[in-house]
Amino acid sequence: MAETASGHKASYGEVVEALPEIGRQFAALYRSFWSLESVPAETLELCRLRLAQLLGSDVAWRFEEVSLASRQRDELSRWPDNDGFSPAQKACLELTEMHAMDARSITDAQADAVKLHFGEVGFVALVQALGVFDAMIRLGLIWDLSSMKVDQP
Amino acid sequence: MGLELDEGRSTVTTKGRVNSPQSDTGNLIKDSALGLVPETLPHYLDLTVAIWDAGPLSPSDIELARLRNANHVGCVMCQAVRYDIAVADGLTEDLVDQVSKQGIQAGLPERQELIVRFVDWYVLSPSAHDADLKRCLNEQFSEAEQVHLALLMAYFNGFSRCAVSLGGMPDSMPRMEISVPR
Repeated sequence: MAETASGHKASYGEVVEALPEIGRQFAALYRSFWSLESVPAETLELCRLRLAQLLGSDVAWRFEEVSLASRQRDELSRWPDNDGFSPAQKACLELTEMHAMDARSITDAQADAVKLHFGEVGFVALVQALGVFDAMIRLGLIWDLSSMKVDQP
Repeated sequence: MGLELDEGRSTVTTKGRVNSPQSDTGNLIKDSALGLVPETLPHYLDLTVAIWDAGPLSPSDIELARLRNANHVGCVMCQAVRYDIAVADGLTEDLVDQVSKQGIQAGLPERQELIVRFVDWYVLSPSAHDADLKRCLNEQFSEAEQVHLALLMAYFNGFSRCAVSLGGMPDSMPRMEISVPR
């Protein structure tokens, strides 16, 4: 499944050609997060990249969904002590790490910190996004995808 | 009430962290907190229906994967739910009990055992190379079935983590049958 007939690594669109309807719907859900009113795309990209680091996906880490300052990329694993990240971004990154380890361990204080900056809608949107980004990275790993670009089947 | 600690193990908060929309459409996704995000709601609704209707796996097989995942995530609500089309398809509580226990239970039919192994791989070690699992999956499942299995895990694992993150999860819930929200 990971390779096409010509032997190169497959893209998302090539893998889900076997099941285009579900593949299209998952791609549409993934793409819907990049134009939210409630949470900036740059903040979500930081969270997606942190998940890529935690899951050990080099392909997801190298992929750029949204352009970020190179300093933020370089310092992402050291975000807690870095002034280059805003308090709102730090609240989201803290929730991202807890979500990645065990969603049951998220505290009310961590949830409140996100709501302080982005409201209840932003908090819901963030935990939705984390689930979908985590899923896309896992699909990339188990399918050994060539890229994290979520292209159409 | 927030996170409670019990002998060093965390338990799920029982206080909801958001207010669900004041709607009563009868669609459990629209009426849940997921209904608060207008940009994603239609896509959740469409993907939910596609997962159950547009793939080659039977409702019973989909439900086994969903329940195995629910145990990994510790989503009490997800564990309590049974989709009625899976029950109608022949899902039994004996089979549910077998896939709900840790490890692989002896006596599971080979196809169901492979579903359990795939779910465990997806959740616990997706970056690991498991040649034996891949060989067995290729023998027992078509390419479309394997893609269906991966995409339903992408959906249910993310969905159950979201449900847990939103809080309001009780310590236990009785078994309840629901229909696919359409």
